[in-house]
Amino acid sequence: MSVDIQLAPVIHFEPGVSTPKPSRSGNLAAGALRAGSLVAFVAILLVFSLTAPYFLSVGNIGNVLGQSAISGVLAIGLTIVLIAGGSNVVTGGIDLSLAANMGLSAAVYATAAQLGYGDATAVAAALLTGLLIGAVNAIAVVGAGIVPLLATLAVMNIVAGLELVLTQNTVIPASTPLLTALSSSGPLSIPALAYVLLVFTLIAAAIVQYTPAGLRLYAVGEFPDAARAAGLPVRRLVAGAFIASGLCGGFAGILSVSNLSGSTTGSGEMLLPVVVTALLGSVFSRRLVPTVIGTLLSTLFVGFLVNGFQLLNISSVLVSGVQGLLILLVVSATTLLRRQEA
Amino acid sequence: MTLQTSAIEPSVPRAIIGVVVDNALVLALVTVFAIFSFATPTFLTIANLQSILVNNFTLLAIAAIAMTFAVSVGGIDLSVGTAIDFASFAFVSLVLAGQPVVVAALAGLGAGAAVGAFNAVLISGIGISPFLATLGTLFIGRSIQQLLTNGGNPVYLPPSGVPEAFRFLGRGAIGGIPVPLIIAAIIIVAATVILTRARFGRVALAIGIQPSVVRYSGIAARAHVAVAFILAGLIAAVAGLILSATVTVYIPSSGSAFLLNAIGATFIGTTLSRLGRPNIPGTVLGVLLLGIVANGLLLTGLNFYWQQVGTGLLIFAVLALSFITRRKA
Repeated sequence: MSVDIQLAPVIHFEPGVSTPKPSRSGNLAAGALRAGSLVAFVAILLVFSLTAPYFLSVGNIGNVLGQSAISGVLAIGLTIVLIAGGSNVVTGGIDLSLAANMGLSAAVYATAAQLGYGDATAVAAALLTGLLIGAVNAIAVVGAGIVPLLATLAVMNIVAGLELVLTQNTVIPASTPLLTALSSSGPLSIPALAYVLLVFTLIAAAIVQYTPAGLRLYAVGEFPDAARAAGLPVRRLVAGAFIASGLCGGFAGILSVSNLSGSTTGSGEMLLPVVVTALLGSVFSRRLVPTVIGTLLSTLFVGFLVNGFQLLNISSVLVSGVQGLLILLVVSATTLLRRQEA
Repeated sequence: MTLQTSAIEPSVPRAIIGVVVDNALVLALVTVFAIFSFATPTFLTIANLQSILVNNFTLLAIAAIAMTFAVSVGGIDLSVGTAIDFASFAFVSLVLAGQPVVVAALAGLGAGAAVGAFNAVLISGIGISPFLATLGTLFIGRSIQQLLTNGGNPVYLPPSGVPEAFRFLGRGAIGGIPVPLIIAAIIIVAATVILTRARFGRVALAIGIQPSVVRYSGIAARAHVAVAFILAGLIAAVAGLILSATVTVYIPSSGSAFLLNAIGATFIGTTLSRLGRPNIPGTVLGVLLLGIVANGLLLTGLNFYWQQVGTGLLIFAVLALSFITRRKA
């Protein structure tokens, strides 16, 4: 499956290899650091709620959930690939085509709606688009054996190009009953998209975290050789992960059409934030591995951060900087923690 | 899984596959070159070939060489664009402030090296994986640039205020050869020497292949990783200087345009080389491949949007073919 080359990660920082240090108060410190990310989350919520009174209102929380729906769905898709591909981002699992996938699926949905097709057809077309992109990734990675980073990079270019061909780089407006429903408010006057995100997360979490197939994904990602020796269909599982991620891209495409009342260009901008969110997700899990719920938490973390900044009138310019600092802080904490455990 | 391609018994069909695998990138390049030479009347003209080198090759080659240094120690540098931008910002701002071009250029190189040094601290000092560390740098760099430019306004040099040396760097020529191309050539040669002939290069590649062996040999692996990332920032800064000298403007976050292509070229060069290791000639050929495809598709007169699809498809085909033949070998 993997290539002849072993572009090794900088292994000397990895757990098993690093020089063992005597872990004195190991467990306590480990627990503290593990809880640290959650504590940071709560602390940020507290600071914002004390400084911006509207922050902790049901309406605002609903808004954040709704605004996080698209990136949440994408990040969960990427999480599935991260689980099946292993944690090394260069040689392991990554899907760079997700954001472009969302753009093309959105364009397909909007075009279908404009051509007068009903919601069912348009939704099917968008999901099929996502599915096909995922299948191409799966064939490239599992069939041809291209490293995921390169394979999905090439697919990203193709998909982004196809989106431009389809839309001619213009906005395609769309309005269908489904879109109206998605952009309306549900119970408690919380945006419908918020409920969509929660239901989607629950379903994804149920599949990934609580079914045999999900458990096997972890086995394939963390110990591919052991998984193969145990007789798991490694290639099929990895292919399945890419296809699932493609489907998530298609689904996010539909959500993005409802959010923007049409398909717009520039979906590629979402790529790196989504990668960050998915990678950040693993610090919200107990064993520091990618999980669906962890990714939801990290999506909301970023969402609340952006929202709090807006409420406090802090320049949005700082958002990406704070996101960057967060990755570095969280990851240094994780790295130091792992070194201590080793 | 292992490096076994070179140890194959010389049976005939295998030998042929071996030759194809060993020279996959050159063959791909020749094929693409031949296709465009036949498909378009203007591709195989001296003017066009020169235009490929100036417009499609120079900047990406420098950025990709920066990337190659990061990849050679087993890492990746997602912040090459950040180093390009910081160098460009320092360079343009100081020239605008009336500083001598040499001072401004040195400051630009310093700014790029500073980005590399920041990465080095994160990676070698704290031990964060290069992907995440440089991703963090990319995000922080984006914010800093927007803060420096009041939310992302370009910094223009007024046409009257462009010093001659500044213009020369971007648009000058020595003996008919454009200055940016000469600089790129110097960097290519220097990087090749560093990576293949110098002790540093051998250690760097060894870290990329088997870091534990390097450490158990008593070599300061972390220091070498740090130097590789600082070098990456410094080299990317050169691209930033040339970029801003060519367009006489600094546009925030414009350097990130090079990121994905630099990754593509470097990894194409790495995976399609005989030993599957990062190497400068491979990276340069990868950049040439991307450049020729972009230029050739432009000349076919294909719809602009289809060109992007075409580029993606061609690269995808090259990758798929070479990975499949490699596996057969």
